[in-house]
Amino acid sequence: MPGPLTRRTLLGTGAAAVGATALGLPPRPAQAQTPVGLQLSWLHSAQFAGSYIALDRGWWAARGLDVSLLPGGPNAPVEPPVVSGTALVGVSAADYTAAAVEQGAPFKILGVAMQKNPFVVASLPGTPVHEPADLVGKRIGMALANTPVLQALCQLNGVDIDRITMVPTQYSAQPLLAGEVDCLLCWETDLPVAMERQGIESLTMLMADHGYVLQSQTYIATEDSLANRRADLVALLAGEVRGWEAYHADPEAAADLTVRMYPDAGLDPETQRLQAARQVPLMFSDLTDAHGFGWWTDDAVAANIETLALLGRTVSPDLWDRSILEEVHGT
Amino acid sequence: MTPQGSRFGPWIGGLLLLAGWELADRLLSDAFVLAGPVAVARFLMDEGALMGRALAVTLGNAAVGFVIGNLAALALAGVAVVWPRSERVVTGLALLVFCLPLVATGPILRVLFGPGPGPQITLAALAVYYTTLIPLLVGLRAVPDTWVELVRSTGRGRLAVLVHVRAMAALPALCAGLQIAAPAAFLGAMVGEFTGAERGMGVLTIRAMRALDVPMTWSLATVATAVAVLAYLALGALARRVLRAPPPVILAAPSVRSKQGAAWRDVALVAALALGGWAAVIGLGGLNPFFAKGPGDVVTALVFAPDAPETRATLGAALAETAVFLLPGYAAGLAAGAGLAVLLVLLPGVAGTVLPLAIALRSVPIVTTAPLVVLLLGRGALGTIVLVAVMVFFPTLVACLHGLRQTPGQVLDVFDSFAAGPVTRLIRLRIPAMWPAFFAAARMAVPASVLAVTVVEWLATGSGMGRLMALSASLSDYDMLWSCVVVVSVLAALGYALVGAVERRVLAVYAPEQQT
Repeated sequence: MPGPLTRRTLLGTGAAAVGATALGLPPRPAQAQTPVGLQLSWLHSAQFAGSYIALDRGWWAARGLDVSLLPGGPNAPVEPPVVSGTALVGVSAADYTAAAVEQGAPFKILGVAMQKNPFVVASLPGTPVHEPADLVGKRIGMALANTPVLQALCQLNGVDIDRITMVPTQYSAQPLLAGEVDCLLCWETDLPVAMERQGIESLTMLMADHGYVLQSQTYIATEDSLANRRADLVALLAGEVRGWEAYHADPEAAADLTVRMYPDAGLDPETQRLQAARQVPLMFSDLTDAHGFGWWTDDAVAANIETLALLGRTVSPDLWDRSILEEVHGT
Repeated sequence: MTPQGSRFGPWIGGLLLLAGWELADRLLSDAFVLAGPVAVARFLMDEGALMGRALAVTLGNAAVGFVIGNLAALALAGVAVVWPRSERVVTGLALLVFCLPLVATGPILRVLFGPGPGPQITLAALAVYYTTLIPLLVGLRAVPDTWVELVRSTGRGRLAVLVHVRAMAALPALCAGLQIAAPAAFLGAMVGEFTGAERGMGVLTIRAMRALDVPMTWSLATVATAVAVLAYLALGALARRVLRAPPPVILAAPSVRSKQGAAWRDVALVAALALGGWAAVIGLGGLNPFFAKGPGDVVTALVFAPDAPETRATLGAALAETAVFLLPGYAAGLAAGAGLAVLLVLLPGVAGTVLPLAIALRSVPIVTTAPLVVLLLGRGALGTIVLVAVMVFFPTLVACLHGLRQTPGQVLDVFDSFAAGPVTRLIRLRIPAMWPAFFAAARMAVPASVLAVTVVEWLATGSGMGRLMALSASLSDYDMLWSCVVVVSVLAALGYALVGAVERRVLAVYAPEQQT
């Protein structure tokens, strides 16, 4: 995490200082920066490009934060670093957050990056899955851990899950292409992009379009942080909001920035651009255009609680806390 | 340590490997599982800089972990030998720590260390210290009584025996241990990157597999394999320079059987120390009780909690699923390793060809091979069993080869003078000489096979304990996760003890100097 990020943060501080001086404000001394961790839910990629923009342009530094973007991975749950304070905020998802809260973690959801759940059923044109009913008689490749997700989809759409064959597979499009399965349970933004890059046409059925309402990439923090570190939380989310709105304006530039900032991550520029474009409709809508990035409505909370109930999670609406976002958006 | 095969052996082996690999690539070209040497070479030419940077990071972490882990093994072995009464406690605790499943320890290490290479280095060190400790202890005891008595007769104590006699006698075993450790350290560092790292070969592997970038996946596997093979050969060359003396004849009187009471006391002591250490880490580490569960929490979750019967049922089902893969894979790996070692001694000419293949097979990261093996053998039991066998096979082969070579020269001379054939020598001489090393390998293979099966279940087949642990971590069910850790570690330790019991019976006849 040190190295380039520190340098970049420093440059950002410089730029911010120049900007601040131009506005007639005293420049913030560099040592006044509060170190803050933002725990991402996966390896560095365009999935978090809005955060990279905020970091790169010094928008956090200008608000007195020295933000470390902590990468996730297949063996890196988001919740423990947030509970233990290594990270002030984590990028989780409504279902994982609900599970953690059930286990006694004092989390609140402060913002919602993905309004629409990114889960899709991906298939090949030969045996297409256009709607949930098409799943009957098919072999679906998935992590068995996601069985509740498929159950919820089936229940929402009146499909008999016993007539679908679940095949536990590693998270890769390879079993689909090798003909081991007919379709995959995956994200809209990763395996379908991988297939497209290999010149393979695939189609995706977004589960969010069939009643599976579940927020993803939700920002979580502990109740303790909400009580005692409000200013840092507002500053962190303000940077996120600004970064993601810049991303919305030019996803391609955001993807290119991602590749530039993490040259060792082995990112393919074209893959990043495709991913960046595909996640725009998941993150931005008329609602966010009207209220700003990260916003949600009470109706959305109610719908999420219903889906969570299908997944076997009981949560109450006070899992969500809009106060930080309201402060950020000045409402 | 390298076999005395023909000079061209390794080249023939290498060429066969390349040809078979390219052929397989052509045959499986539509399946997106395999890239041949041509595709790999092309990728490495285009992306050499990226690969170089990733290699430098992972190799650096692996090397630091390798050094730390092996130093720890040396220190523990020293304690055990200078103070023999502590040996069972030392090895028992070391075993428990080695048995901790990395699917569960990874996230905890990440929280403990925060951002940086801490978990990568720790997992690399944890992957090696035990495989060095056990052969080292065997080697430290492989000393003729007369030598020990010689030192004692000069009025010197145990420390002098350790420095002047045992340390020298242990060098061959240490070298064998280090050779096994090299690929394990690299794998540990790669898997450590799964806990959230910015760069390295593990990061690239995840990226490549998700992106269907088969040339990149296999380039990573090739580079990792090449590093492991080079480390293996370099340590072997070093060993040949250091080890000039032929192995001694070890004549030891059968020792008096240790009392059962003492054994139980040691087991109780290990359990008490482990529980105490566990509680202390949780308490003193200031870890949050949300994810850091102590012994009391696990007992509550498994026995007293209202949902304890469900928890036990879930655990039991997962264990049963895992055992189906684990036991046959373990047995097959042991048999294949020992069998191949014997074959190589009978046909030394083949060794130069086979050994590089065997090293390469073992060194290809399991993360990469799992999908290929699953494709070839199906998602059922067979694929997992084969992967477990591969993980067990290589350490067994190396240890047994080393054991077979420990046949004392003088005794071989006697057999020579009676014109005994190679088979007679093998059965009457070399195989008995191999037993200590074989059993050391068989014991080490218990945790290694548990590690293999949980990693395969986690990454490829999505079943059994590997799945349960990954699922528990992602759903924040840390009571279940820690219960899994306890159950897996204790069962692995029990398996180890079982092998040890068989070993004691056999070695009482063939190698009484190993009895403690």
